Amino acid sequence: MSADALTDEERYPTLTLHGREMLRFLREHPFAPIFRNRSGNRLLPDDIERVLAFEAEVASSPLGATRDPARWLQGFLEQWREVVPALRARRPWPAELSQHPCTSRADFARDIAQFVPDSAPVERLLNFRTSGTTGHPIPVPSHPVVAAGYLALYKRALRRFGIELRHGPGKVGVVLIGYQERCFTYTSVTPTMGDSGLVKLNLHESDWRDPNHRALYLDALAPELIAGDPLSFAELLRLPLELEPRAVLSTSMTLSHGLRNELESRFDCPVLDVYSMNEAGPIGVYDASLGGHVLLQPRLHVELLDEAGEPVAPSERGEITLTGGFNFCLPLVRYRTGDHARLEIRRGELVLVDLEGRPPVRFRAPDGRFFNNVDVTHALAPFSIARYTLHQDERGALHFKLCGARSPLAEVRAALARLFGDSLELRVEVVAHFEEKAIQYTSALRP
Amino acid sequence: MEREGPLLEVLVHRIADVPADFLDEPRAQRTANVHVQGVVFDLYRLLGLEPEDSDVALYAPAAVPVAALSVRLLLCWVLCDDWFQGAKLERQAVQGLLVDAASKLAEHTRAAQFVSDPERREEIARVALARLGYRPAGETRPQAEDRLSSLSASERARVLEAARTAEARARAVREALAKQAAQEAADKWSRE
Repeated sequence: MSADALTDEERYPTLTLHGREMLRFLREHPFAPIFRNRSGNRLLPDDIERVLAFEAEVASSPLGATRDPARWLQGFLEQWREVVPALRARRPWPAELSQHPCTSRADFARDIAQFVPDSAPVERLLNFRTSGTTGHPIPVPSHPVVAAGYLALYKRALRRFGIELRHGPGKVGVVLIGYQERCFTYTSVTPTMGDSGLVKLNLHESDWRDPNHRALYLDALAPELIAGDPLSFAELLRLPLELEPRAVLSTSMTLSHGLRNELESRFDCPVLDVYSMNEAGPIGVYDASLGGHVLLQPRLHVELLDEAGEPVAPSERGEITLTGGFNFCLPLVRYRTGDHARLEIRRGELVLVDLEGRPPVRFRAPDGRFFNNVDVTHALAPFSIARYTLHQDERGALHFKLCGARSPLAEVRAALARLFGDSLELRVEVVAHFEEKAIQYTSALRP
Repeated sequence: MEREGPLLEVLVHRIADVPADFLDEPRAQRTANVHVQGVVFDLYRLLGLEPEDSDVALYAPAAVPVAALSVRLLLCWVLCDDWFQGAKLERQAVQGLLVDAASKLAEHTRAAQFVSDPERREEIARVALARLGYRPAGETRPQAEDRLSSLSASERARVLEAARTAEARARAVREALAKQAAQEAADKWSRE
């Protein structure tokens, strides 16, 4: 049944009086946007118990727990061995994790059903489609309990920065902001937070009766947390807001240090850069004191593999490959994400350093030296740019496109010239928007 | 068939030497001779398993065809072999063999034929091992699977049924996912 066909009882099975009033407040506020969709937590009473148990487990897991997969990994593999069709077909059963074949987006795209456990209740399956950085959408099976479980990991991330969420009945817990021609927008409540309000809205002017209502509505909601991505944050910063969130949470795309600093300065609160994906949920949160994304999930094992599927040497870059997770509709076994990083132990915790969402791309400077995309990321980190792409054509000329830039273009150009050299042929183009999954770094140079 | 079990010949000879009592008429009716449930529980104890309350209902003879009870009795004889007593068999696997496999085998062959016919002796020995997670000593898993499939109509039927069930499930999953909305069908505290 599609989401729009559900009744309110099915969307919010445990809706309280506070929750009902909150929904009315969110939808009927005079400055409210046009909500184009309807969602709902879909959590039954038993589900809520499971969600709270998961929250307690995550909260009590010690920092550095991710370093010790031996505690749970074999049990995880045994649990799913006879229940997931793709695992059931693995004969003889691999003795070690490293002997299991890797899986990829292509495997999921071919037939996702082979990776869904027989125990996953079909009648409650959700589909969070993802297209990754590029490519065709693949279905990602999920469940209301899994969707609600994200909050446990965000709470763990927030705790690192001294934030304990406390908005409950009568208050708005989170506003999710997008900034696209079209996106899903809806109102809901979070039962594990006393039916506090949850709003997903689109800052694009076409979703508002009056663009000035955007700031007025957000101020009226006074959410404890704002979640979004660099594009929506760049637009948010243009609004005359007075609200004071306790934290800002960024997902979906790389958040430049410059933009993060600007958000921190504007809202005077921690800004969390979360590495997350539909296939695994929140994986890590950037911690400047550790210089990378510290892993969040106690039962998610991370390997880094080279192109041949072999583990890279310690502190070398490799493709992030995941085993474990809390999605009981899609347990991951050596799932290659397409993202790359180095994995280091810093202050007793596992940290993804220099995280990049695509395989490494090399760029050639006019004097023949080569740089890779990480070098470019570092050079541009200080600037407040919502999104950019860099392409080198077959002649070696660079084409830099950006949107949502709040730093002077001359300074951005100068930073690239310092990296590549003054004789660099560089075109800088400001665009209004990118295709949803534009690739950040590309090169037409022959290797 | 993950693990290597006993020599097939040992089991086949054991089946051929089955005492007459194990081929006697099972107690499905008042006038019959052998209390199959009692034999099963004796076997359990030999294997180091204690019968539980749920086993009483599971192995109750009422509503079970006599043919299936006869095959169950024969399988009890097979499992009395010394090799199985040291194997630490899993309760669930033993139940699967004595209830489900016995029933499926009986659909195609009478117990007496499993004793008298050399290929049927081999079939029931192989089915017993396979259901317990073993293959005959000296065989690879593919060899054991191939041989069992070629011998056993019941095994072929089981494999076919399992494949149909798996495909029906996969189809149900694909259809359920296709029906869902493209994006947020339940709340998440972020976008991805």
